[in-house]
Amino acid sequence: MNFLKQLVATALLCLALQYFFPWWTLVIGAFAASYWAGNKAFMAFLAGFLGVALLWLVAALVIDLQTQSILTDKVAQLFPTKTPALLLLLTAIVGGLPAGFAGMTGAIASPRH
Amino acid sequence: MKYLKISIPLLLTLALVYVLNRSWNFGAPIPPLGKFLDPFHGFWQNAETGKVKDGELNLAGLKDKVTVVYDSARIPHIFAQNDEDLYFAQGYITAIDRLWQMEFQTHAAAGRVSEILGNVALDYDRRQRRLGMVYGAQNGLESMSKDPISKMTVDAYTAGINAYIATLSYEDLPFEYKLLDYSPENWSNLKCALLLKSMAQTLNMSDKDMEITNALKLYGKDVIDILYPDQEPVSDPIVERPGQWKFKSPLSDSIPLAVPTELIAARPYEKPSPDVGSNNWAVSGSKTASGAPILCSDPHLNLSLPSIWYAIHLNAPGINTMGVSLPGSPAVIIGFNDSIAWAMTNAQRDLVDWYQIQFKDAGKNEYMSDGAWKPSRKVIETFNVKGGKPFVDTVTYTHHGPVLYDESFHGENERAHYAFRWIAHDPSEEVITFYKLNRAKNHAGYIEALDYYSSPAQNIVFASAAGDVAMRIQGKYPVRRKNEGRFVLDGSKTSTEWQAYIPNEQNVMDKNPARGFVSSANQYPVDFTYPYYVTASSWEAYRNRRINQVLAASSNVTMQDMIKLQHDNFNQRGADALPIFLPHLDPSTFNEKEKEAYEHLKKWDFYNNPESEDAPYFAAWWQQLMPMVWDEMDSAHVAMQYPTGFNTIQLIKTQPNFSFFDLVATPEKETATDILRKSFSASVKFIEDWKTRKNESLTWGNYKDSYIGHLLRQKALNIPVRSSGGGSAVVNAHTQTHGPSWRMVVSLEKSGVKAIGVYPGGQSGNPGSPYYANMVEPWAHAKYYTLRLATSPEQLTGYQSSTTQLTPSK
Repeated sequence: MNFLKQLVATALLCLALQYFFPWWTLVIGAFAASYWAGNKAFMAFLAGFLGVALLWLVAALVIDLQTQSILTDKVAQLFPTKTPALLLLLTAIVGGLPAGFAGMTGAIASPRH
Repeated sequence: MKYLKISIPLLLTLALVYVLNRSWNFGAPIPPLGKFLDPFHGFWQNAETGKVKDGELNLAGLKDKVTVVYDSARIPHIFAQNDEDLYFAQGYITAIDRLWQMEFQTHAAAGRVSEILGNVALDYDRRQRRLGMVYGAQNGLESMSKDPISKMTVDAYTAGINAYIATLSYEDLPFEYKLLDYSPENWSNLKCALLLKSMAQTLNMSDKDMEITNALKLYGKDVIDILYPDQEPVSDPIVERPGQWKFKSPLSDSIPLAVPTELIAARPYEKPSPDVGSNNWAVSGSKTASGAPILCSDPHLNLSLPSIWYAIHLNAPGINTMGVSLPGSPAVIIGFNDSIAWAMTNAQRDLVDWYQIQFKDAGKNEYMSDGAWKPSRKVIETFNVKGGKPFVDTVTYTHHGPVLYDESFHGENERAHYAFRWIAHDPSEEVITFYKLNRAKNHAGYIEALDYYSSPAQNIVFASAAGDVAMRIQGKYPVRRKNEGRFVLDGSKTSTEWQAYIPNEQNVMDKNPARGFVSSANQYPVDFTYPYYVTASSWEAYRNRRINQVLAASSNVTMQDMIKLQHDNFNQRGADALPIFLPHLDPSTFNEKEKEAYEHLKKWDFYNNPESEDAPYFAAWWQQLMPMVWDEMDSAHVAMQYPTGFNTIQLIKTQPNFSFFDLVATPEKETATDILRKSFSASVKFIEDWKTRKNESLTWGNYKDSYIGHLLRQKALNIPVRSSGGGSAVVNAHTQTHGPSWRMVVSLEKSGVKAIGVYPGGQSGNPGSPYYANMVEPWAHAKYYTLRLATSPEQLTGYQSSTTQLTPSK
């Protein structure tokens, strides 16, 4: 349950932060959500990772669908990814990884740990 | 313990943020992945649906309200209350669509690409600086600032661009900034000047002075005159008024031929493609169905994305003009208003010279001029190379101009110092020309505007609703003496320098000729009674003949006929060459594939239509033939340039035993017949290889394999065009990478000017916009967009897609 709590909190907090601030503020959101939820380190990593990975995946997918992949197609060709699907996956991972480690940091720092 | 446990994931987090927040270069550049892939600010934000809402913008710097109506092709129609606001809005609106391109092109002109792309661009950048691009632009800027009209125009345009740049945060940056991880700097008037100089560079730099000097040294004067005649026996100069030139050249001597003591070992820069050129013509009312003149334009340039042109309509009290602009320069460059229309083709004229400099010593502080040592001037150029240390280069300036080649740059020995003299180094006032042309009412207004124009020299066609058609070959031209400018010159004698300039009123011009039309296609400008010596690196020999032949035979011309002529795929070179080439072949020796190729060539109607299965055979043959004929030049291992295709065909026809037909690599002595047979067999092999390699049907469209290339040369951002015909030496001059960069037809009817136009690109420079390349297919299929010269926003009701109100902020 705490896992889901952290995941949702990460996503929501990061959505709010990203609305105003640069991308890297997501580590603050992921840290804070995890500090609050107090999961075990590995679960905290996973919840942080998924929280932002899903947030980025959904946000990118909405743009991709709305614009009929007009730019996704081209950027996918510029990268070794080649297909829009893999580019979306890469986007999710790139957002997820720092969030995962930030989540892990938050969990260890948490008094509930 | 807890702190130690925390520190590991914490450090990992921070390291990841660092790694993902900056760009890297592991052989290939990698953008900062976190920033770039962030869906809230990164490249995803550059993807557009194409739906634009009406909007209102408050802008400091405006005096009054400005209304911008975008039509369905996303062409902005700008309605302002005064000139300053008009050019401010032009800058602002153009920057919305083309900011990255504007800055990249001016960085490229100024030799600053290595700041963006790193070491790969350093050689290019050094060349740009050593060519004196910034030096020329500064001279241009100085004269721009002196005249109140051009100062106002450029100041307002620059302010408009900067007002736009000031609104940008990371998520709004054009895609390419995010990809290459940098941000725009402020625009400046100097950048406007740089853009005009870079246009001059594209159009002036195909000189072959060094190459032909080497040829002179290797082959002697008699052979040179055969290989590179001043005038080729092509008919149809742009202006024919024999005996009507009532003036004399002030210089009648000739430059003595100074055969160099050694071959020039410099490695000259890559020349602009010979497919840079253009067509324009204007047909008198006497030959049109409506009785009104029709003017047509298609400038041929490297077809790029974002497009070289940006279509725009400018309206303010005293001005109502429409056409295409160059992003980075104010005003409409090729276009029309309610009274006149105008367009350009390149005049080709030789406006570039090279002077061999004799320095006193290795310090290069003094050089010889008329028996005395003259001091040189040193300019230190710093290159802030991305991902590397700054590179410093010293450029030595003589009174001729900068020394481009020396032992530190493309010169292969210590004596090889060549200073560069170029007309575009001089102060000039083109901004005034376009300001006045945009507002001109008649032929007198056109002539007055052109008096301010010096570089790059252009064939400027004109037509008016009053019924005139005209042509003027305008530029600032040094008075050339015979042979002056063909070869590298001795920089130690002032007698070899430019002594005088042709007065404006003595430039080649024509008005309402009896044949009922004027036209130009980069050919020789004038009949041989023109009193001045005229020279160029080459003249076009094909398109002009076809255009003139079609126009001469036409009557009751409509705009539709003109569209057809702009897309005319008749290959004049093929029509010239094949009747001469084919009889040299011996069909009895052919294998199966050669028989097939021969049949295709025999039945070819000389049209380079996209579906033609014959045209590729001629193209392949031509491609094999030229290097075989001129193999002597490739094996000379110094800078050389092949003679023209036209001359090659002439030589095959008239001198089949000419020594150059011999292949250097074989012991036998070949003639034109042998060369034609060998190149034919090689071309058939090439075609068969092509078929297996590509696994596509052999049509001209597939074989030509055209594409519109993004400025960064990234294949993923290019747009292929397989459905277009044409080619080199064809009126529809669309080759693999070059071609009609804008097509315009204007009918100057008294009841209202009708105009259409299209270019192979789109109004938006954003690869993520539906307007990035939306005009490419219409362009390939001869579909034009209506250019609506409205006098008020209301007149555009029904045609608009969105409206933006610009209001002065309080």
